[in-house]
Amino acid sequence: MRKPFYLVREAWANMRTNRTTTIVAVLTTAFALACVGIFLLLYVNLRNAAGSLQEDVKVMVYLEDRFPRERVQELERKLKIDRMVAEVLFISKEQALGEFRVQFPSESHLLEGLGENPLPASFVVTLAPNFRSPDAMKGWVERVQTMEGVAKVDYNQEWLSLLAELIGYIELAAIGVGILLSAAAVTIIGNTIRLALLARREEIEILRSIGATRTFIRIPYFLEGAVLGVCGSALSLGILKFAFELFRQQIQLTGRFSGIEGMISFFPFSVCLALVMAGMGLGFAGSVVSLLRVGEGRT
Amino acid sequence: MDAIIQLIHVSKWHDRKAALSDVTLEIEKGEFVLLMGSSGAGKSTLLRMLIGEEQPDEGQIFVHGRNVTKLRPTEVPYLRRKVGAVFQDFRLLPKKSVFDNVALPLIVQGASEKDIRRKVTEALRAVDVDHKKDQLPNSLSTGEQQRVCIARAIVNGPVVLLADEPTGNLDPERTREIMELFKLINARGTTVVVATHDPHVLNQVNRRVITLVQGVLLSERRIGQGVGV
Repeated sequence: MRKPFYLVREAWANMRTNRTTTIVAVLTTAFALACVGIFLLLYVNLRNAAGSLQEDVKVMVYLEDRFPRERVQELERKLKIDRMVAEVLFISKEQALGEFRVQFPSESHLLEGLGENPLPASFVVTLAPNFRSPDAMKGWVERVQTMEGVAKVDYNQEWLSLLAELIGYIELAAIGVGILLSAAAVTIIGNTIRLALLARREEIEILRSIGATRTFIRIPYFLEGAVLGVCGSALSLGILKFAFELFRQQIQLTGRFSGIEGMISFFPFSVCLALVMAGMGLGFAGSVVSLLRVGEGRT
Repeated sequence: MDAIIQLIHVSKWHDRKAALSDVTLEIEKGEFVLLMGSSGAGKSTLLRMLIGEEQPDEGQIFVHGRNVTKLRPTEVPYLRRKVGAVFQDFRLLPKKSVFDNVALPLIVQGASEKDIRRKVTEALRAVDVDHKKDQLPNSLSTGEQQRVCIARAIVNGPVVLLADEPTGNLDPERTREIMELFKLINARGTTVVVATHDPHVLNQVNRRVITLVQGVLLSERRIGQGVGV
């Protein structure tokens, strides 16, 4: 029991002795990880938003004006048996006009002057969940567009592609920034451990001379690195949470982007835990790097 | 008698200069040996080799039946647990109490709390500093610090005790006390090897003396037995 207690106490003593460098290491690690966290948060929320938007996406299949009624029913059957289609709803010319009048009451007089109803009949198609990716949708639309009686197929293709592209860029940026700042965190923690090692070189020599194994000598420094990593990542999550809540509050107060506050969310607990574990891993890596560089713990 | 330390044609060079040159010697179990020689004679190099801190360039070294020159790095700590070491500069941890300093070799080995308490108390009593167990080393006199260092070296019952210039920082009276302590430890069965350049120590120890001069084993004798090589 004394041995583990000793090792933990030594790690704690290391941190207390080099208090300033320890605090600086935790703060800079927290800042670096918070920067990574911003990208990650943006990425996660945009992906969620894209997911829910794609669920709502409906494809409008407009029909040619003189397409016979019985051929319309045939086309509807064709669409309904398509494995990529989940739901098909027919909107007749009259229904379309009615909806237009409901949605745009002040503009309805514009259609009166035209005499004949200019709005086409259409199918509102909801694709099956597995085929809602931009690529799958694009392929389906291209196929339907060539069908007889179809005048035009419309959906927010550009918007969705743009969102997918943006998510791709953010993903890349998150990976790039993540690698860069993780390396920075490893270096910062590594340097802190290195300072601790240099300050305690004499003590390490004494431990070696009385028969301490390499593992025994190294464990306090591994612990120190892991604790610094955990503290840094926990603090970064705190900073992120604070900034996130501030952002959400601002949206509510200003009223701009209303509706967005319900769509955005912070990391779930499991992701927070994974980030803290990742911080611990980075701290541990920092310890390993500095122990290898200083070459301590040799027998 | 059994040899607990054996050097066979051991040589070591530091920067092309021979620190030890073709040294062959045996130390029996339970012996008390003085390793004499001026500064740079190779005494410390020899002691460092016995605990695996340095490796010879030539020759073989056996300690307690193990060939030190063939030990894997992971095996060296276990050798050091059988060989206690005392240093001229004491090498005590300044921020730990006397008790914690002495307990360190036992903690390293994973001894139980009960064992640590018992053995540390015994070791501190043996060197007569048990009343200062809660103090920090820097608050002790140099003689007391050396006693604490000896207590740490004997706390886990080593088979060999090596002391490198243990009286180098002590006045004649403290030197006499420390040498008496080594004799006491030796009388309990531990093999003791003391490296020193101080000829006054000779007068206090009527034992085997090995003299090194510039890395060469010059003479081996027992006080009052004449000189032999």
